Amino acid sequence: MSALSTDWIEPARDRVRVFAQYDHAFEEKADVVVVGSGPSGAVAAFELAAAGHDVILLEEGPPFTVRDFELDGNLSMTRTMREGGLRMTRGTTMPTMQAVALGGGSLVNSAICVRPPDSVFDRWATRYDLERTDRAHLDPHFDAIADFLGIAPTPEEVQGPRNLLFRDGCDQMGVSSEPISRNVKGCRGSGECFTGCRSRAKQSMDVSYVPAALRAGARVFTSVQVQEIRRSGRRVTGVSGQVVAPFTHGAAKGRSHRFRIEAKAVVLAAGCTATPVLLQHSDDLANASGQVGENLQFHPGVAIAGVFPEAVQPQFGATQGYQSLAFLDEGFKLETLWAPPPLLALRFPGLGEELQARFAELPNMAIFDAIASANRSLGRVRKRFRSLEPVLEWQLHPDDVAILRRSLHVIAQIFFAAGARKILPGVSGIPHELTNIEDAAVLDSSAVKVGNLVMGGNHVFCTTRMHGDPTRGVVDEDGRCHDLENLYIADTGIFPQCPSVNPMFTGMALARRQAIALSERL
Amino acid sequence: MLTGLIIVGLLMAAGFALHRRGYAGYAPAPAGLAILHRGEAAFVDAVAEVLFPAGGGLALSGIDAQLPHSIDRHLVALPWRQRAQIRLLLGAVEHITLVLPSEEPGGRGRFSSLSAASRIALLDRLSRHRFGLLRLLMTALRSVFVLGYLGHPANLHGLSLAPFEIELGVSEAELLFPRVGGLVSSIAFGPEDLNVAEYREPLRPDGERHRAYARTAATQTGRAKR
Repeated sequence: MSALSTDWIEPARDRVRVFAQYDHAFEEKADVVVVGSGPSGAVAAFELAAAGHDVILLEEGPPFTVRDFELDGNLSMTRTMREGGLRMTRGTTMPTMQAVALGGGSLVNSAICVRPPDSVFDRWATRYDLERTDRAHLDPHFDAIADFLGIAPTPEEVQGPRNLLFRDGCDQMGVSSEPISRNVKGCRGSGECFTGCRSRAKQSMDVSYVPAALRAGARVFTSVQVQEIRRSGRRVTGVSGQVVAPFTHGAAKGRSHRFRIEAKAVVLAAGCTATPVLLQHSDDLANASGQVGENLQFHPGVAIAGVFPEAVQPQFGATQGYQSLAFLDEGFKLETLWAPPPLLALRFPGLGEELQARFAELPNMAIFDAIASANRSLGRVRKRFRSLEPVLEWQLHPDDVAILRRSLHVIAQIFFAAGARKILPGVSGIPHELTNIEDAAVLDSSAVKVGNLVMGGNHVFCTTRMHGDPTRGVVDEDGRCHDLENLYIADTGIFPQCPSVNPMFTGMALARRQAIALSERL
Repeated sequence: MLTGLIIVGLLMAAGFALHRRGYAGYAPAPAGLAILHRGEAAFVDAVAEVLFPAGGGLALSGIDAQLPHSIDRHLVALPWRQRAQIRLLLGAVEHITLVLPSEEPGGRGRFSSLSAASRIALLDRLSRHRFGLLRLLMTALRSVFVLGYLGHPANLHGLSLAPFEIELGVSEAELLFPRVGGLVSSIAFGPEDLNVAEYREPLRPDGERHRAYARTAATQTGRAKR
């Protein structure tokens, strides 16, 4: 039970606006308007409000209470994801998702919080003229966020067999592994992070930083879509847009009241794919460098299902409880994974009874995945015609294909070391099932081609990258746009390269630093 | 004048052919569909019957899982662009026999009019086709069906993969925000309802599963057996 005072709740409710309340167009003023309530935006809003500034946090999606979570994975995606969860890249085809909800992606991610190794920041500093973006400068921000969110390694009692099998396989191979640190308090191991935590153990932004921002005096407006950043000379003056109904994907024609907010500073935290589109839609704002929407990078991910002789009760356990950072230097990170079973089963081969037989093996399955540090695979974000949704063009580089092949082979080795009876690699062009370590060598061969890989990429970066040189990047180290005095960007778009590990924690640490810098300038 | 009549005649003939190919001859759609028309519903059942046959080891077959309804619910929830893409996908495979005819007599007929053996053979052909676009078409079609079929509460419950029955958490968010679509004044929780904590007892791996899934499983599986 919460031992904290709740006297602040009633006044804070008055600072919340939800769709049902909007009955006319409106205008507001604030010191800072933050666009987007995902991890970076929520941290920025809280820090600025806590520093005494008048903050308005805007979110296009609705707030979800615990009773709004949809257990059906398919329907959950249609409610919480842009484009119904069916967004794909062009070029190299790969599904990618972006949440639209109060709390952004933190509502439906698996709460992984990893600090990138020094080598990542060294690379950023050297190649992008950055002087203060290293562990020494960022660790105080990582620490503050970790304290606030209770970030800690996943305890063994909620790992469940499928996460521990990964550990056992790594141990057998002599590969280091560790419990994943997550922003979770009181996890019960229900394995349903991706459809929203019904226990409210996950410290997603809607239960952590957003309430804290409200408590500190911020106002939170949900179901509002920002469509334009307003500008006067070298300064922005605020934002404007319209009210959108929940679950209508911005298409509602009915209650589309306009709104306008004037502010001394604007912080864009709409996400790596939405922020550049918003800038492009606002008369190509902040783009003297020509880098807005360019340099798009992902952590493309691949996964293998392993079938064990005995049931592993995979529904129980932290969604992603174990990881190995042993291969970061080779360009990939390994993790365990669980998701709503129908989503996992999309990659199972076969038709008819053969396919059903694989479904029936799900209780004996574990899934391990790899995310690749694919910083040679580049793309761009463009605004779709008459829409604020992005067009994502991206090509997987042959060198990164080699990384993915190698990662698949390592995963296969871990599975067999852990005692798997067989694996389902989910790669077309090679056997549907592999039953021994020798046969698994095919995964690290030229038989695995780009078109055969089944990938997903939900970590997205670099489309408004940070660079010390204003001609080569969009923002400086404080997240301020080089071209404008009071426009800031705080999402993973400012990463100069992919960070090789899950990005949420780094995004929040950078946002905290930016918010403190902005606060001092206001 | 004559040219005009010929053009009108050709257009009418084309319209008649299109109507016959696309809409005529289907059985009425099951009740309760919001988006799928009867042709699409017939196609969904025709795929479901061969993709998830009865006796395949799961609680329900593709037909018993009533996939037209689950796919219809999915379509309702999607943005118009993605909804249109999925409907085009359904239509494309229903009429793919025009370019990939089945070997049985009348093999250029609609997919849903083919025998079960020809339907599964055609799906298998698509999944192995040398043209990547056709393989992609099959992957997309399969995905739509797998989500509906395996996502059926009875099938998940039968595999012990239904969500756990758990006490819902009440956090500060439940005190600050109304349910989606509601007013702030409709918030039902107060500070006395907060139940989140730093530590809570983990679930048991074999713990009780969601009651609604268990109920649906009992009802649907019994109906399927009858």
